[in-house]
Amino acid sequence: MSFMNTAALLGPYHPDRVLAWGNGHPITYRRFLSEVATLADQLPEKPTVINLADDRYRFLVGLAAAMVRGQTTLLPPSRAPRALAAIAKEYNNSYCLADSQDTVEELHTYQIPKGEWSSVHNMSVPQIPVDHTAVVAFTSGSTGIPRPNPKTWGSLVAVARSTGVRLGLKTSDHMTVVATVPHQHMYGLEATIMLPIQHGMAFHVGRPLFPEDVRLALANVPSPRLLVTTPLHVRACATAPTRLPPMEFILSATAPLPVSLAKQAETLFQTSVYEVYGFTEAGSLATRRTVADETWHVLDGITLYQKSDRCYLQAPYLRESVSFPDAVSLQGPHRFVLHGRGGDIVNIGGHRVSLEDLNQKLNEIEGVQDGVFLLPDENGTSVTRLMAIVVAPGKSAEQILSTLRDVIDPVFLPRPLHLVANLPRNETGKLTREALLRLAHKLHEQDRHGS
Amino acid sequence: MADVSPLEAEVAKLIVQTLNMKIDPAQIQPEQPLFGEGLGLDSIDALELSLAISQFYGYGIRSDDPEAVATFASLRSLCKSIEKNRTK
Repeated sequence: MSFMNTAALLGPYHPDRVLAWGNGHPITYRRFLSEVATLADQLPEKPTVINLADDRYRFLVGLAAAMVRGQTTLLPPSRAPRALAAIAKEYNNSYCLADSQDTVEELHTYQIPKGEWSSVHNMSVPQIPVDHTAVVAFTSGSTGIPRPNPKTWGSLVAVARSTGVRLGLKTSDHMTVVATVPHQHMYGLEATIMLPIQHGMAFHVGRPLFPEDVRLALANVPSPRLLVTTPLHVRACATAPTRLPPMEFILSATAPLPVSLAKQAETLFQTSVYEVYGFTEAGSLATRRTVADETWHVLDGITLYQKSDRCYLQAPYLRESVSFPDAVSLQGPHRFVLHGRGGDIVNIGGHRVSLEDLNQKLNEIEGVQDGVFLLPDENGTSVTRLMAIVVAPGKSAEQILSTLRDVIDPVFLPRPLHLVANLPRNETGKLTREALLRLAHKLHEQDRHGS
Repeated sequence: MADVSPLEAEVAKLIVQTLNMKIDPAQIQPEQPLFGEGLGLDSIDALELSLAISQFYGYGIRSDDPEAVATFASLRSLCKSIEKNRTK
């Protein structure tokens, strides 16, 4: 690939169009380019940056400025202090960008300016080499060390364009994205940053949490609107007595959306609900309209194939074929059915993690002799949480939890954490799920009758 | 338990039921932090809890409310907000 091979930072460029809505204040594309140029001039000469900005717009200014300088943005798997420290140690010539007091130990932190009072200069749209590593996303690996997944600018642009084609996004629509998902993860980056800038769209800078927040965020941006969210929030908004403003459609990802819930949301909000399927190694790769079709349709340019019992996908922007982490069955080279999530990977409210990784972190704690995480069977509508069964003589559950809090994302903290004398390992030393579930049931019964 | 109001006892029960917690509602201290180090709740719990509160008390919690941070600080502060904003 020659160094002349570039793709523009923005798809279409309409200088006076709104790119971002923050508390009712519009920020135009012209101002954005001006702020990117200003920040790019101020950034230190370092190869990598951890961008912690909570504000979606300021995150994008930091991301774009870093790219203009030929730098790579690291997307840590979690905000847990030790997780950030691990990335900072691995990429020790990094700095940190932030828009609050957040920081990463050992790294120099630069504030992304609010820019509201700076003058706006006319700038041309930066061209970024397609083979530049724009971001590195990390996945929870079975080794306990986060595994880096470098993403080239070319691959991010390709996915944004093919997703836009699939969803029928037209630049002339000037749609505005409101999102409940973080922009520091792949789905959020793709759907709430890349999709808008490649299609001349706008986005809301915040990240609404409660149904009432979602309603206000939608009400504070002009129509047409697009809600980028997860099954968790679709259910919350459908359950709460909240009437949401009109939306063109809802995009959901990170976990399978039940058909009944998709139907309920489509009726209640008079909209269409689409799902995106993807995983960090490949990015977004397929969509479906949940109420209409069980089958997933891959984005243009992607081809599926099977080799022995594994399914793979290839795309022009992927250096090599990537295997599916989940159980799927192919219906030809462009369609598939999803059967379930892969055995070792669990998904809690949209956050994915490898159980092996969690087990390793648990067993590294001083005083823990043996321990295991377990995802109980789904109990219905609410989010199922992990539990842990641990052998740690002389340690309390609180002591272990407090150490875990430093090393794993809070959504994966076990509840409950049971202390036992030993784990039900079989004669070969293996722990079967059945044996663990039996023990978990027994412990639960003891708790109910014991206290 | 003398210093727990009837509403606090009721909301403690609601928290335990909504979040499938394996503890006795009476174990929740009224001034104990609900999130992080205290009861260990997170944003998914906050969302689940906000749904239960809107269903039971007709109070839709908002993050941009100046009192929102204080609302989830403890059982006691949560109950104060419910008392003030409830519609049923």
